[in-house]
Amino acid sequence: MRAGKSTVECPRVRLGGGFSLPLHAVLLAPTLIVLALVILYPIVSSAALGFFNYDLTNPRGQGFAGVDNFTRLANDANFWRALKNTLVFSLSSVAFGLVFGLAGALALNNLAERHGWLRGVLLLPWVIPTVVVGYLFLFIFDVDAGLASYLLMRLGIIDRSLPWLMRGDLAMAACIIANVWNQTPFYILMFAAGLKTIPQDIREATVEMGASRWQEFRHVTLPFLWGLIVITSLLMIIRNFNNFPIVYTMTGGGPAYETTTFVIYIYRLAFDSFKLGYAGAVGFIWCIVLAILAALYVRALTKES
Amino acid sequence: MNEIRKTGGGWKIVVWAVVIVALVWTFFPFYWMLSTALKPDLDIYKVPPDLWPKNLTFDNVRKLFWEDSLIPRFFLNSLISSVATVIVTVGLATFSGYALSRLRFRFRQKLLIGILVTQMFPMVVLLIPLYILYLKAHLLNTWVGLVLAFTSFALPFGVWMIKGFIDTVPVEMEEAAMIDGCSRVGALFKVVLPMIVPGVAATAIFAFLDAWNNLLFPLTLVNELEMKTLPPGMILSFMGQFRADWGGMMATSFLTTLPIVILFVLLQRYLVAGLTAGAVKG
Repeated sequence: MRAGKSTVECPRVRLGGGFSLPLHAVLLAPTLIVLALVILYPIVSSAALGFFNYDLTNPRGQGFAGVDNFTRLANDANFWRALKNTLVFSLSSVAFGLVFGLAGALALNNLAERHGWLRGVLLLPWVIPTVVVGYLFLFIFDVDAGLASYLLMRLGIIDRSLPWLMRGDLAMAACIIANVWNQTPFYILMFAAGLKTIPQDIREATVEMGASRWQEFRHVTLPFLWGLIVITSLLMIIRNFNNFPIVYTMTGGGPAYETTTFVIYIYRLAFDSFKLGYAGAVGFIWCIVLAILAALYVRALTKES
Repeated sequence: MNEIRKTGGGWKIVVWAVVIVALVWTFFPFYWMLSTALKPDLDIYKVPPDLWPKNLTFDNVRKLFWEDSLIPRFFLNSLISSVATVIVTVGLATFSGYALSRLRFRFRQKLLIGILVTQMFPMVVLLIPLYILYLKAHLLNTWVGLVLAFTSFALPFGVWMIKGFIDTVPVEMEEAAMIDGCSRVGALFKVVLPMIVPGVAATAIFAFLDAWNNLLFPLTLVNELEMKTLPPGMILSFMGQFRADWGGMMATSFLTTLPIVILFVLLQRYLVAGLTAGAVKG
């Protein structure tokens, strides 16, 4: 906020013919137009779609539907299954990510400065295309050629190759493992950066008082990181609620509906069965959930800074 | 780094064990991708698998460049649309970031939050109306349409990034330039921009990654095969085959990952700075 004091209040841009516009409006206009066109308008319009019968396979049945689509939701078993799958997928991905990320960050923080490059290279899985992540793990979990089954057999945990992606529970587990591989680097990076902000003198005092490593972690490190943990978890829950490519490439939502998350369900409804109105209704509900989470995220973020 | 505790041998072993597990877990899948791409088809199905490829072959890689292969075309499309997204995003984010950092107007704070929140809605939900809109505006199967969609998802991060960096540049420097006869926009380009290179770099990298990695937009907003980018192109090339062509798939995956790895090696420090800036600085 230091920039505030000496800036010109409201410079204007002169246009021809005596017209002028405030400079901030001119500078912001292109960004806002793009966001309005590609994000804002579609959200509003998609919410409106939820109140119409807009089934492309049934052109005669189109028209205003009131809340029909929404009452239909309540009795749609696939809707509830998608909700359950989304929660299982997202919450376990975030839980594993948090634990692995924290362990990784603490380990990196204990290394000498010259090993700092390790923090950089560990990021790689996070920046590669998610479709590639999906294909890579599709291969690793393949029933014939996959490494996962082979390794588990070698370790004596299973005695024959598992059809990972053809069994509901295993398919979900495979998607979560791929997702955790993809996302753990982000948690490591966040927490490693957070650990650096813990003041050295506080740590020194803790050690002088004779606190064990566990006590230091429990009473100094964790409270210091708490805000960051909350922010990161919320952000990643939101991202995973919207996560499409991993499940789409690995299982396509199958077998049956066993790994169909919300975004996959909406995609299938709209682009495979052309039930645009109903897809809009599901999307509307989902946007409300995400708006609540986004509000929590913004609150946590502003509280932290 | 912080030698507050005397690091005993036992603890060091624990720390290095965690680091080594993390390294193996992170890099083994990459190794497996590359080694599979370099194996002949028969060896890929070998039990037990060759952890080190015994019969090296470049057939899988060569196949990607055969005459009827669309992979080079997809690669080029990805490159064109990603670079265009970088240019548009950096341009728009610089102007908006400057306005949000330097100018005072009503709803400034609300706008900043609003821009951040647009990122949090599912792309899938936007797609249906966007498809209809693009259909009416003749933007389906166009570079403009695709780049516009990519840009909308890269912009919020970029605006925040550049705004944050401009916040750290002393206003006095700009004012000095303006007293010397520089216009406000001139001062932005001559004084501010050179000082926020890391922010611009981070914005550019993330815009590139966003576009390069995006699946949903090119999957739906582009239906001409010749215009698909790599992520949907990969799906079209390898899905629904009777027997999976793992060698080809891993070779394509490798090709798709390669530019990212190069970018990553060259610009890693900007990337790390960019990723942490948002959440840690707040």
